[in-house]
Amino acid sequence: MSDATLPRANFYRQNRKLLLGALGVALFFAAWQAVFLIVPLNPLFITTPGLMASALVALAENGELANDLSVSAVPFFYGFGAAIVVGVPLGVLMGWRARVGWTLDPLMTALYASPLVALAPLVVIFLGVGIAGKAIIIFLLSVFPFVFNAAAGVRVIDPLLINVVRAMGGKERDLYLKVLFPGVLPYVVAGARIAIGRAFIGVLVGEFFAASEGIGYAIARFGDQFALDRMFACILVITVLAVIFTEGVRWAERTAFPWRAGE
Amino acid sequence: MDQNAVIAAPSESFIPPRGAWRRIEPTALGIFGIAAPLVLWELVPHIIELKAGTKLFFAPPSQVAVTLWQMFASGAIWTPLGASATGFALGLGLAILVALPLGILIGRSQTFNALLDPFITAFNATPRLVFLPLLVLWFGLGLWSKVVIVFFGAVFPLLINTYEGVRNADRLLVNVVRAFGANEWDVARLVIVPNALPYIIVGLRLAIGRAVLGVVVSEFFGSTAGLGVVMVQAAAQYHVDIVFAGIIVFTALSLAMTGLVKLLERRLARWRPARPGGE
Repeated sequence: MSDATLPRANFYRQNRKLLLGALGVALFFAAWQAVFLIVPLNPLFITTPGLMASALVALAENGELANDLSVSAVPFFYGFGAAIVVGVPLGVLMGWRARVGWTLDPLMTALYASPLVALAPLVVIFLGVGIAGKAIIIFLLSVFPFVFNAAAGVRVIDPLLINVVRAMGGKERDLYLKVLFPGVLPYVVAGARIAIGRAFIGVLVGEFFAASEGIGYAIARFGDQFALDRMFACILVITVLAVIFTEGVRWAERTAFPWRAGE
Repeated sequence: MDQNAVIAAPSESFIPPRGAWRRIEPTALGIFGIAAPLVLWELVPHIIELKAGTKLFFAPPSQVAVTLWQMFASGAIWTPLGASATGFALGLGLAILVALPLGILIGRSQTFNALLDPFITAFNATPRLVFLPLLVLWFGLGLWSKVVIVFFGAVFPLLINTYEGVRNADRLLVNVVRAFGANEWDVARLVIVPNALPYIIVGLRLAIGRAVLGVVVSEFFGSTAGLGVVMVQAAAQYHVDIVFAGIIVFTALSLAMTGLVKLLERRLARWRPARPGGE
């Protein structure tokens, strides 16, 4: 008898977190839908999950959603790519060369602490509402996690490894390829997790300010039109995307650098 | 040059030189790192002739400093700054009031944790800014949409860090207190909260940064009063100096508050032999 019940109990115990989480989400949407069986629905004020789902399907079918997402993806790609290309080497340099670190650290800290989003209106004035303006806002927001994490990654590298490579006759290039790069990589990926969230903010800020297309613009426009079902659908899309991106990076971290899991 | 010196005096190669310059070098270079771009920025109009159009957008640091001084001297800054500070304080206060009990609850109860985890993950990953158009519809262009955005920004770092701190409580201590007949309230008061405190403080530091960002962003898009509103209006009229002055004020406030929290952290951690790291 115990043989028969054990696997089931184990299944529940192993997946308890997942099951309860799914239950929580299901309860939330069910309660949301159920409230409007009792309370009269004011579609100008709130929507229901059912209406939101049909709006999502409608947006997906007429291609609006795909179009908005691809428009938003272009500056995201450029800005985030530039943040990696600039941020990681700069961070490595700051960690590797003590004097560069001393020189740039206070400046970078001050810039990181300042709300650089506030530069968005200026960027829009300088560069207009095109891809370049949005990409620069995204770059400004997402570059600093890469800089700080790459620098931190270099600083914790075991000096012994460096000395070994040098003692074996390794050149500067070997040092970079065999010690610095592998050592820094986990930190860079961890930085990417933070940077992605900030890059999302950059996309939205850029599009709230000045845009004619894109997912952030869509949310603002549906809000102005009081089309709450479509607005909620877009918000849901962004939420799902943000979770997929951050959890994807977290998963990549766990898979690629299991020795660092949980840090 | 350095290497030659080392070779000439191998016995001293492991003793760092103790000259005056060595001691102040990091600070001096740091000041240089901040001053050099500022000087360069100041000098640009003197070196190259700017076009009339570019000149309109160009505000050298000296002009920003003068503007900043005038904003304080004339008192023009206090009303918008007060509006920003009210939104900040209410949002952060609400976040603390909600995050601490909830964090302790989900740290102590596996079931609550599992039920709420998807929401915490989703909200924490999502930029809170997406909700702004919705909040403006619900609360109007005013204080309360700002408060809610600040709240959402600040509540998750606090919640997650409180939860981590509660989870990391020493089981042995909990069991000892229980063995002496403590109820859940005593356990929380004697073990859980003191243990979680450093984590909560780290969360507070992160939350302040997020809250300042929330104030700026919400004032840019959905508010009628505040320093962010002043900055957007100035940008629309090409008063670049006011925009930079506003950024400096926000940065200074953010650094000052983070510094205060660091002091608090040091004060609260005095009895602790080794400080555990938070997020």
